[in-house]
Amino acid sequence: MIEFKKLSLRLGAFHLQDLSIRIDRGDYYFIIGPSGAGKTVILEAIAGLHLPDSGEVTIDGRHSTAIPPEKRGIALVYQDYSLFPHMSVEKNIGFGLRMQKCSKEEIQSRVSGLLEQFDIVHLQNRYPGTLSGGEQQRVAIARALASDPDILLLDEPFAALDPITREQIILDLLRIHRERKLTIVQVTHSREEIMRMATRCAVIINGECVQEGPVRSVFENPESTVIARFIGMENIIPGVVGGRISGLASVDVRGESVIAISGVSPGKKVEILFRAADVMVQLVDGQKSSVQNRFSATITAVVPLGGSLTQVHLDAGFPIIALVTTLSVEDLKLVPGMEVVASIKASAIKVLETNE
Amino acid sequence: MAHFSLLRDRCLLSFSLLGGLILGITVLSLVNMTVQELSDIPHLLRVAADSKVFDSIILTMGAGAHTIIILMIFGIPLAYVLARAEFMGKRIIETIVDIPLMLPHTVAGILVYILFMKRGLIGGPLYDVGFSFEDAYPGIVVAMLFVSSPYFINSAREGFEKVPVHLENVARTLGATRFSAFLHVVLPLSARYIYNGAIFSWGRAIGEFAAIIMIAYYPMVISTLLYYRFSTGGLKESSSIAFIMILACFAVFLVLRYLSRFIGRYDDRV
Repeated sequence: MIEFKKLSLRLGAFHLQDLSIRIDRGDYYFIIGPSGAGKTVILEAIAGLHLPDSGEVTIDGRHSTAIPPEKRGIALVYQDYSLFPHMSVEKNIGFGLRMQKCSKEEIQSRVSGLLEQFDIVHLQNRYPGTLSGGEQQRVAIARALASDPDILLLDEPFAALDPITREQIILDLLRIHRERKLTIVQVTHSREEIMRMATRCAVIINGECVQEGPVRSVFENPESTVIARFIGMENIIPGVVGGRISGLASVDVRGESVIAISGVSPGKKVEILFRAADVMVQLVDGQKSSVQNRFSATITAVVPLGGSLTQVHLDAGFPIIALVTTLSVEDLKLVPGMEVVASIKASAIKVLETNE
Repeated sequence: MAHFSLLRDRCLLSFSLLGGLILGITVLSLVNMTVQELSDIPHLLRVAADSKVFDSIILTMGAGAHTIIILMIFGIPLAYVLARAEFMGKRIIETIVDIPLMLPHTVAGILVYILFMKRGLIGGPLYDVGFSFEDAYPGIVVAMLFVSSPYFINSAREGFEKVPVHLENVARTLGATRFSAFLHVVLPLSARYIYNGAIFSWGRAIGEFAAIIMIAYYPMVISTLLYYRFSTGGLKESSSIAFIMILACFAVFLVLRYLSRFIGRYDDRV
């Protein structure tokens, strides 16, 4: 278990402030946030490459702030792979074992095991400069695993890979995580990777951890609109709480009332958030239903997402983005300019007070 | 391909012509001297066979080599600190490193002399235990060290800066101490810069005159010998020595440059 307690660190123009996160053994932990948010610095701090200005780091309950990187058992793989250009693939992978003064035979057998496991036996005598991105990435991960670390840190490992290689390496990593019961901490700004791989995550914005927890809770309950925007909440609309009806809040959004489950008191400025997938599009207002929010709207755009899904942009006095199947778009013959009805369940809408 | 583009590209062509003028001065002076010297080959051979000239060239090159060895031992650590650490007063340290570049060589000579003379701050105590810098080989080496150090330190530092910090960081997370990471990753990857820095500062060291004669007129390095023969024996005598030194330097530098092709070329491939 790694724990950061109120860690502050200043590096040139950048600083981390009062960062507290906790990573449990066996987690596949994601650190997410926009570019330049300090994610790489956090990985380097976990690895012990930066001494914090204040706060502390504990690893398995031990105070580790002063333990140098070579004694932490934490391996780091950078986005640029950082293979040693003057060493062959084989020598790169064996580097950690040589540093730990392992015997020649042991190094030999561990390295060939890893070469096989990552399907790079044919590359063993090549130099990094002659390898493709995907090959370099495999070598980098094999090198990191060679000294059998407790924790593997990955800095945007897929950023520079083509989709096929990326997919293979994702599967490799998920397998390694499962088989070795390894703790992995990965930095990314891709939502898809998080949804697919992570067990827990922390959202870092401007050097500050703004939300931390199991992936599902972070994605379903963003604590601020900045986080909501970052995790890809499609509909974020400002409004004012107009009144309360039997435990529900009625929010005025440009003259329309939107009903949501919320305890925010009337008069407060808020933002309402809901996922595009929670919006239902109908041709005509049918019979009464349990859905509280029903708006007449005009389709402004139909945007295919390249798979089986299509985004439909609506104007209901305020903009709404809906996510529907491409099949439905064809069935209902949805085209721009068409009048439709958009319905959103009150329970799907989250209300956040605007901090002003 | 390079020839082709040079002739077609007007900008490159005119730049080459301008650049050619500066090269021209060097080439003209060398050709001029070569023609003169070769017109009296028996005289040239007599000077070349003069053991004083031969000894002096060996002395100069040897003292230069000693200087480089000392520079490597002390300059590499300094260059690494300057490349990797940020600290208060770093600009001041950098300026101190560069001081010998800016000073007139006679000023450098005075500085070295005052420090290492028999009554000097360092020279004094060492003289008492029987180690003299004045008119002695160590005096030549300290003078060379002083004037050539910036070339070496700055070149090594540039080499260290070119090695990505990420490589060092990765080496450390793989279990290397800072020193091991330096030894196994940083040093091999900057070998080329260190080597080139050593060649430059060696060249600078063997070319020194003013700073050396102030502390050690004897034993005579080649520039001292040349000046002595110029003022006592005239132009003909001294220009033959100059010509022999030019040939020796040209040969040595050519070999060193050639060898540098084989050193630390990995960085080009990343």
